Amino acid sequence: MIPLNWYLALSAIVFSIGLYGLMTHKNGIRMLMCVELMLNSANINLVAFSSYNDDMTGQVFALFSIALAAAEAAIGFAILMSIYRMRDMIDVDKLNILRW
Amino acid sequence: MAMENLAFLIPLLPALAFVLTFFLGKKLPSGGAIIPIIAIAISCVISLSITAGLLANPEHVVTQSVHWFAILNLGILIDPLAAVMLSMVTFVSLLIHIYAVGYMSHDPAKPRYFAETALFTAAMLGLILSDNILQLFVCWELVGLSSYLLIGFWFHKPGAASAAKKAFLTTRIGDVMFLAGIVLLFADIFAILEGKLPEGVYLLQFEEIFKFIPDLVAINSTILGMEVSHLTLVTLLFFGGAVGKSGQFPLHVWLPDAMEGPTTVSALIHAATMVTAGVYLVARTFPMFLAAPGTLMVVAMLGAFTALFAATMGIVMNDLKRVLAFSTISQLGYMVLGLGLGAVIGAEAVGVSMFHLINHAFFKALLFLCAGSVIHAVGTHDMRQLGGVGKVMPITFATMTAAALALAGFGIPGTSIGFSGFLSKDPIIEYAYVFATETGNWMPYLFAITAAFLTSLYIFRLIFMTFTGKPRSDYGGHESPSSMTIPLAILAVFAVIFGALTRGKFMAFIESNFEHLDMNALAELGGYHLGPHGHEPLLILWMPLIVAVAGLVIAYLIYNKRVIDMSRIVSSENPVYKLLYNRYYQHQIFVEIFSVKIIYEGLALASFYSDKMLDWLVNGTSTFLIEAGDSLRKFQTGVIQDYAAAVVAGVGLLVILVKLIMEVF
Repeated sequence: MIPLNWYLALSAIVFSIGLYGLMTHKNGIRMLMCVELMLNSANINLVAFSSYNDDMTGQVFALFSIALAAAEAAIGFAILMSIYRMRDMIDVDKLNILRW
Repeated sequence: MAMENLAFLIPLLPALAFVLTFFLGKKLPSGGAIIPIIAIAISCVISLSITAGLLANPEHVVTQSVHWFAILNLGILIDPLAAVMLSMVTFVSLLIHIYAVGYMSHDPAKPRYFAETALFTAAMLGLILSDNILQLFVCWELVGLSSYLLIGFWFHKPGAASAAKKAFLTTRIGDVMFLAGIVLLFADIFAILEGKLPEGVYLLQFEEIFKFIPDLVAINSTILGMEVSHLTLVTLLFFGGAVGKSGQFPLHVWLPDAMEGPTTVSALIHAATMVTAGVYLVARTFPMFLAAPGTLMVVAMLGAFTALFAATMGIVMNDLKRVLAFSTISQLGYMVLGLGLGAVIGAEAVGVSMFHLINHAFFKALLFLCAGSVIHAVGTHDMRQLGGVGKVMPITFATMTAAALALAGFGIPGTSIGFSGFLSKDPIIEYAYVFATETGNWMPYLFAITAAFLTSLYIFRLIFMTFTGKPRSDYGGHESPSSMTIPLAILAVFAVIFGALTRGKFMAFIESNFEHLDMNALAELGGYHLGPHGHEPLLILWMPLIVAVAGLVIAYLIYNKRVIDMSRIVSSENPVYKLLYNRYYQHQIFVEIFSVKIIYEGLALASFYSDKMLDWLVNGTSTFLIEAGDSLRKFQTGVIQDYAAAVVAGVGLLVILVKLIMEVF
């Protein structure tokens, strides 16, 4: 059996990649994809602990989380689509009409 | 008896009439005048029957009281003093309301007029039958308010609006003194009781206050190096209130200007009733005044001075109503003088003064209503444009002459024959002579007798200038309607015979008010000696009549026969005439020097600095907040990466903190 630490390390790596992407990119779609990575790293953690502890709650929780992530992605992409139609770009730094 | 149980209705009915007239008056004929007339008529009947009951049995004093709050009550006290005032106020008010139906017939704001006069009547009646000083003060303020409203009845006229303000502010000085007197009195009683308030006793009832008089005299304070008894302070503060309300020098300045209101208002409020509230207050608390060292001297001197001072101005005024206004101030001075004479005659002073008050109410209301009748018919106040009005308005002429004879004081000394004004003013002047012989202070007597001469002169000047001779302008008058002339006739009957009918009985009736108190002991507390006084010399007895006749003759010679050329006297070069015509430059002194130069500029200076500080404070606060916001909002960059970084940094910090805490514990 693969030790728990490995799963945690994988989760941490995936989370870090996601965070790095979120911090460095201005493109809306890339940022959304990075957020998905971070979410899924949390899911890995949940499933890993669940199987390690022999408790199904964690896996059920992960399923909910995936469903939520899907909904969030759908809304996020829909917003980005309409921004693209209006502005012909999805660079979030340039969406600053409400800024001081 | 049933009537006594209805005593609370006396002020309540006019108050109800006020509300009804105010809201329903527009829908009723003649502005709803019928409601206050009926209400006051019922009040009048109740008052008269209670007075009749008291006359039959002076012990039968009406007292009713309900708990208000703490140690204060709302109560009714109808003793002889209150009873005569109630009867007079309801009766005169009733007649003037009836008269006003005719007088105000062309005015579009009749409901407001009748509502406000009803409110005034209610407040005045409440003032009279108060059994405690606080309730009296509340009503005192209410009459002040209705006076303000009614002086400013034609508020679209700038003169009326400013006269109303002047009246309100001037009387306010007195009111504040009155209130300070009540506060000081209560604080002293509290101190005497050492803070232990007895159960079930309402301390501010007059009867309760009178019990504390000996203790109050004993409390002394040093003011400006003089030992002053607290009772003297309290009574002087009360008298300050009376000075404001009753138009005594130096707070009399509002009364002549108050004539900007409708003439009926001048007759009701500024001649017959409200202005006598000050005199009534002193009469009501007379045992306190008698026991207070020095106060009655001040009262007597100020009253005598006011009587003369106002009379001198009365002889040069050309406005019909202003002559009467100065006459009112002068006559109020007599009443105040009469009270001050209590220093030598004790409780008799209240009888004398109240007698003059009641008589004055009749003949002065009559004078004003006659003047109103003339003004209503010819449309001008200015006597220089009148003349010969007597031919077109015979009833007004006859009634006004009767009132003038009463005011000037015609009668036969030593008997009960004479106009009512004579029978009440004459004793005041005679007692002023007693005062002079007892105390050696001749000023009140000399002022009073001189004022009597001037009174006769100015009132017959008014009569001759207005009613006799040839018309000096084209005014085309007519006699007033009967709703106006009937009240005139009734009042004229009273002005002529009331004094003669009631003379001896009246004074004894009022004096029985204080029978249960030992007046001699009180006078000793105040340092006065009340002794029997002998008869006055014949010359002194006849002097008031002599000066009255002299005034009449001189007025006849100057203003009717024109023996003396008026233009020599009435010219801007005559310094005496100028001084009098400009009313001793009081307006200039009060307004231009005192108000504008001292108070207004002082305030302007103060407000300049306070504005600076306030500006600095207010603007500083807003500038600070705007600048703080400007710098703080830079944190909200709007760049998602910044927020993400902040979240990560926060989480990192949290982890480190948790780790540290775990290791420490």
